[in-house]
Amino acid sequence: MKTKQAVLAFLIGLTAAAAAVEADDKPGGGAVVDAATDAKPGAASVAPAVAATDARSDTTTTAATSTAAAPVTVAATDSKPDAAAAKAPPARSQLWSYQPVKRPDVPAVHQKKWVRTPIDAFVLAKLEAKGLKPSVDADRAAFVRRATLDVWGVIPTPEQVKAFVGDRSPDAYEKLVDGLLASPHYGERQARRWLDLARYADSSGFQNDVTRPNMWRYRDYVIDSFNRDKPYDQFVKEQLAGDELAPNDKQALIATGFLAGYPDNYNSRDLVQRKYQITTDMTDTVGQVFLAQTVGCARCHDHKFDRISEKEYFQFQAFFANTSEVNDIRAELGAQELAYEAADAKWKEATKDIRAQQKEILDPIRDAALKYHKERYLTDSRAAIFKPESEWTAQDRWINHRLANVTTEADYVSYLAYTGENKDDPNYTPENGERYEKYKKLTEELKQFDKLKPERGSDKITAMTELGHADAPPTFKLFGGSQDRPLEEVQPAFPAAIANGEKPVIVPAVTVLGHQFSSGRRTALANWIASPQNPLTARVYVNRVWSQYFGTGIVKSVSDFGRAGDKPVNPELLDYLADNFVKEGWDVKKLQREILLSSVYRQSSEYRDDVFKADPENKLLAVFPRRRLDAEEIRDSLLLASGKLNDTVGGPSVFPPVPKGLNAGKLWTVSKDEDDWNRRSLYIFTRRSVAYPMLDTFDMASAQQVHSKRDVTTTPLQALTLYNSDLVFQWSQALAGRVIREAGDSQTAQLDRLYQILFARNPDKFEKATFKAFLASHEKVIENKATDGKLAIALPVGLKSAETPNPIREAAFVDLVHTVVNSNEFSYKF
Amino acid sequence: MNFKTSRRDLLVNAGLGLGGLALSGLLPGGLSVARAADLLDPLAPKQPHFPAKAKSVIWLHQNGAPSTLDLYDYKPDLVKLAGQEVPESFLKGIKTSTQGGVGKLFASKRSWKQYGDSGAWFSDLLPNLSQHADKLAFIKSSTTIGATHDISILKLNTGDLNPGRPTLGAWVVYALGASNPDLPAYVVLYGGTKEPSAGAVNWSSGFLPAVYQGTPFRPGSSPILNLERPELDSALQQRDNLDLLKRLNAHKGSRYPQDTELQARLNSYELAYRMESSAPEAVDLSKESDATKALYGVNDQDPNVKDYGTNLLKARRLVERGVRFVQVITGPVDVDGEEISWDAHKELEKNHTANARMVDKPIAGLLADLQSRGLLDSTLVVWTSEFGRTSYGESGNGRDHNPWGYTQWLAGGGSKSGYTFGQTDEIGLKSVGKSVDTYDLQATVLNLMGLDHLKVTYLNNGRSERPTVVYGEVVKELIA
Repeated sequence: MKTKQAVLAFLIGLTAAAAAVEADDKPGGGAVVDAATDAKPGAASVAPAVAATDARSDTTTTAATSTAAAPVTVAATDSKPDAAAAKAPPARSQLWSYQPVKRPDVPAVHQKKWVRTPIDAFVLAKLEAKGLKPSVDADRAAFVRRATLDVWGVIPTPEQVKAFVGDRSPDAYEKLVDGLLASPHYGERQARRWLDLARYADSSGFQNDVTRPNMWRYRDYVIDSFNRDKPYDQFVKEQLAGDELAPNDKQALIATGFLAGYPDNYNSRDLVQRKYQITTDMTDTVGQVFLAQTVGCARCHDHKFDRISEKEYFQFQAFFANTSEVNDIRAELGAQELAYEAADAKWKEATKDIRAQQKEILDPIRDAALKYHKERYLTDSRAAIFKPESEWTAQDRWINHRLANVTTEADYVSYLAYTGENKDDPNYTPENGERYEKYKKLTEELKQFDKLKPERGSDKITAMTELGHADAPPTFKLFGGSQDRPLEEVQPAFPAAIANGEKPVIVPAVTVLGHQFSSGRRTALANWIASPQNPLTARVYVNRVWSQYFGTGIVKSVSDFGRAGDKPVNPELLDYLADNFVKEGWDVKKLQREILLSSVYRQSSEYRDDVFKADPENKLLAVFPRRRLDAEEIRDSLLLASGKLNDTVGGPSVFPPVPKGLNAGKLWTVSKDEDDWNRRSLYIFTRRSVAYPMLDTFDMASAQQVHSKRDVTTTPLQALTLYNSDLVFQWSQALAGRVIREAGDSQTAQLDRLYQILFARNPDKFEKATFKAFLASHEKVIENKATDGKLAIALPVGLKSAETPNPIREAAFVDLVHTVVNSNEFSYKF
Repeated sequence: MNFKTSRRDLLVNAGLGLGGLALSGLLPGGLSVARAADLLDPLAPKQPHFPAKAKSVIWLHQNGAPSTLDLYDYKPDLVKLAGQEVPESFLKGIKTSTQGGVGKLFASKRSWKQYGDSGAWFSDLLPNLSQHADKLAFIKSSTTIGATHDISILKLNTGDLNPGRPTLGAWVVYALGASNPDLPAYVVLYGGTKEPSAGAVNWSSGFLPAVYQGTPFRPGSSPILNLERPELDSALQQRDNLDLLKRLNAHKGSRYPQDTELQARLNSYELAYRMESSAPEAVDLSKESDATKALYGVNDQDPNVKDYGTNLLKARRLVERGVRFVQVITGPVDVDGEEISWDAHKELEKNHTANARMVDKPIAGLLADLQSRGLLDSTLVVWTSEFGRTSYGESGNGRDHNPWGYTQWLAGGGSKSGYTFGQTDEIGLKSVGKSVDTYDLQATVLNLMGLDHLKVTYLNNGRSERPTVVYGEVVKELIA
C-alpha cells in the first residue's frame, strides 16, 4: 500500500500527496491519505490534482466577505470539516515547522575536500547516502555569469568576466562574491524578490486603478534596507509596526508601506466591507510572508490541515483592527521632493485664477454635495458617516477617515452633473446646470496647463498607522467568514500551536508627553514574529533565500510550512541555516555569502545520466539546476548588453514605451525623459490593471496577492516578444553596433565579442562555422530584398559611417545578433 | 519545412513525448503535476471529465449592468405601483444607498410582447434578439455580491471580490488545453478603442501559470501585441533567422538531452511563427459574405453596432477555429458626445436605447449564423453582466445597482432552449425561490464543457483551489 502511494506521489509529482503519505504527524490526517489512495492519475488528465485533493478542497480566504447577498452554501458545498484535527484543544502540535529550531551537528562525510562551508557537508551527506557524487565545479566564466545574474539580476560585462577568470589568487571567489554583495545592485535584486511578496504596486487596482504616488518610497526603503544589510528582525519589525516603534523616523513610517500594499477600490460604496477586506489582506499577507502559514484558510472554517482555528484566525486579525492608511505625511525634503514641489508650485501659480473660480463655483454647494455624496454609501456605512464626531467609536473613526481619504473634488462636481443636467432628478436646479457648464469650461482651460504638472514623484509618505488613539474597534469571530454574521468578540492572540503558550504583551504606544497614540497591537505581533524563539520566521526566510539561488526551496512550498505544504528535503540543512542566521544577528548578506561560496552553488549544471536516474527532480542537488532568467533579468540584461542601461538607483517609477496596440490610454503615459525608458525593470511603474507587457509575458509577479514563486512558462507569445518587438530589435541593433565598435572589422573577433558579452565565453567551432555559413547566405537574402525595390535594411546603431563600409553585411550581422539574443543560452543561466 | 505539423508532432519529432522527467528547474512553479506531457506543453489538449456538450464558449459581458427589468423581466405590477415608495417588505435584508432619491418605484417605459413558442417576454428594445426567443435559456433569478461594478465583475469572472484568482476562461484552458495550437485558446475582444477599465484582472490566470491567461485581441488587422515583424525584417529574412536559431538551440540542447523545457522553448518559436499568419487570418473578415456581414451589422450606419457586430463575427471565426473561450466585453456607446456604458444611474431611456441598439442586431446575427453553420450545438453563448438594476428609481429617471435579482441567459452548447429558470418578486427587485449565483453559473458552464467544477483543481500554496472557490451548484434545469 505504502509503496503504491509513494509511486503515485512520484508519478504525479503531487507534493502534498507525498507529504501525506510520509506524514508521521497527522492528527486527523487520515482524510488526506485516503484521498491520495483514490487518486487515478491516468483517468483524470484534466485536473492534475483532482483525486488527491478532493477531500482537501479548502475554503479559501476569498469570496466570503459577503454582504447580505452572500451565498449561504458554505456548509452545503464545503467538504466535511476536519473536526478532529482542528478543534482539538491546542495540545502541542507535532508538525515539524512548529518545533523549535535546533542546531544540528555538521555531518561527517567521505569526500571531505569538497566541503567549503557547513552547507556542503549537509548536502553531501544526503548525496553520499544515495551513492551520488557532487558535480565538478562550473568553469569560472559560467560561475561569474550565474552569480552576477543571481546577485545583481544582470549579466556580467566581459571585463568582469575576464578579471575573475584571470584572477589566480586563492581568494578569487571571495573577492568576486564580496564585490557583488557590496554593489547597490544587490539591494535592487533582493528588493524585487521582496516586493513580489509585498504585492507591491504603484496603483490601487480595481476599476479606477489610480496612481498611489508615494508607494515608490517603500520600494526604495526595501532596496536600501538590503544594501545596508539591515538585520532581518529589524526589517520585519519596521514593516509591521514602524509607526509605533519609531514614530519620528520617516523611514520606519515608509516601511509600513508593506501593509499598505493591498489592492483597493476607492469607489466602493460599502466601507464596512472595505475595512474587513483590507484587514483580511494584511492578516493573510503577514501570515504567508513571514510565517509561511496559510492562515487565510481559517477565515471561513477551522483550518483543515493546520492547528489554526477560526477563532484564532480572527484573533490574528485583531492585531490589525485599528490600522488605517495615511497618505499625507510630509516626506523629508531631498532633491526629488524639492524638484516636485517646485514644479507643483509653478503649476499652482499658473492655474491660480482658474482654480479660484472653480472653488467659487463649488463653495455654495459644498454642504449639499457632500451630503449627496455620503448618501451613496450603504446602510451600515451611512450609520457611521452621518454620526456626529463626538459620538464616534473606534470603528466609526476608521470609516470616516476612509471616507475622507477617498472623497475628492470630483465627487462635488459629480453632484453638479447629476442635479444640473438631469431635469428629472429630485434635486435638479437650473442654477446647478449653469454652475456645471461653467465648471466644465474651466476644467478644459485647466487642462492646457497639464504639461506644467510634475510628471511623477511626490512629497508625501504613505503609512499604515493608527489615528492617534489606543482604543481599537472590536473584532468578532465571523460565522463562515461572513461579515454579517458576527459571533463572539475576540482579542488579539497568536495561534497557540505555533506560539506554544506565548501570549501577546500589548502596551499602547505613547508620545513623549505620555499621550497614547496607538494600540501597540502590531508591536506585540512584530516582536513575536521577529523573535529568535519563533520557530518559523528564520526558517521561512532562509528557505526563501535558498530558493532564489537554487530555484527550489529546501521546503518547496516556500509560503506554506503547514501540513499541506512540503516537508524539507534536507531538514538538518534548513535548521543549520536558520540557527546560524539568527546567531549571526539575522545578517542577510552573510547568509547569501555562505551560499554563494559553497561548493553546492559552485557546481556545474552539465547533464549527468547517473543523477537523472537516481534523482530525476534533482532534489539533492548533485547537479546545479539551470534556470530561466526572470522577466526582469531578461530585459535588464538586454539593456546592459546593448549599452543602453541606465542604472540609476531609486526614485519615482517610470513608464517606458509599450507595444503599439496596447490601448491603455491614460493609465500608461510614456515618460517624456527617454533616459527613463532604460531604467532597471524594478523601477517600471506597476499598474495593477496594465502589466508591462514585456515583463508580463515572462511570468513577472502578479501584484494582486503575495507572489511566492515565479512561474516558468514557455509560450509562443514570449517568442513573439523577443523576436518581433521593436524594442528588442532596436537593442539588438545597438548591440551589433557595440560589437563592431569594440571588436573592429574581423568577423571572428566580432563573433567572439558578441559571445563574450552575452554568454561570457567564445563561440565554439560548430557555432563559428554555423555563423559564417549563415552570414554568407543571409547576405544574399538581404540583397534580394534590397533589389526588390527600396533598400530598407536595418543597420547596426551607434557606428560612424566609416565603420559600416558594407551595409548588406552589417545588416546580416544585425540579424545574427538578434537571433543569438533569442537563443536559449541567453535566457537561461547554466 | 512543413508548417502544418501539429504541436504534438513537433514535440514527438523533437524526440520528446516519451515522458522523461528532466532535471530540477523544469517544474513550472507551483504546478501541481509533473507529468512530462504537461511540462512540455501546458496547452496540450486534455480529455474532459465527461462528454462535453459545448466545445467553445462565447461570453457576452454587458459592461455597466443593463436593467433587465427593461429588457426581459416583464413586471406589470411595477407599472401599477410606479411612483410609490418601495414597500418595506421588499427591502428586508438588503443594504441600499439613498443617493438621488432612491425609494420610489420606477416603471419601464417600454412596450412588451411575448415571442416564440416559449412565449418569452421581450421589450421593444430588442426587436432582433426577440426573434430568437426559442434558442435562449433565461436565468431570471440571478444574484451576486456587491454594489460596485469592478468588485462584482471580478466575482463574475474569478469568484472573488479581490483580484488574484484565475478567471473562468483560464480554468477552462487549464482543464482542456488548446484545440488549435496556432491560436491563443482564450481570447478577449473588447469594444471601443481602449482596454476595459480594471483590465487584465478580468482575463487573468490568477495563481495559475500565465500561459492560461486570456489574450486580448486588439482592434484592427494585427490582433496580438508583437505579432508583426519589425518593420525592416522581411518574411524570408525572419525564416532564415529562425532556422539559424534552431541550429543554435539544438546545438546547446544536445548537451541536455533530458531537458524538455529547453526543447519546448525551441518549438515555441515555430508556433509563434505560425501564429504570425494564423491570428490575422482569424480576424480577417474580408472572406465573409456580404449577407453574413449584414447579419451582424458589420456595415451598419451606427458605429456602435458596427463595432460590436465586428467583434461578434470575429468571435464566431475564432470558435470556428477551435478557440475555447472568447470573452466579448461591450465598449462604451457614444451618445451626444458622451461615452456611456449600460450604467444608467440617470436617463435610462436614452442610455438603454443606445446600448440595446448596439447589441441587439449583432447578437441576433451571431445566434442565427452559429445555427446556420451548425455551430450552435457546440458553442455556448452566455449573456451576462456584473449585476442588474433596481426597480426603484434614482435621479428621477435612472436605476441603481441590483445584485439581488436580475436576468442572464444561455444559448446553444447544450443549454435548454426556449426555457426560463427562476423568477424575481412582483416588482423585479429580488430573486424568489431558487436563485443562481455567479458560482452556479460557472459550475453550469463548466458542466456543459464536460467539466465537474469540483474536480478542476489546482494546488496553490498548499491549498487545493477550484474555479468555484467553495461554492457552486450546477443548475441542471438549464441543461438540455
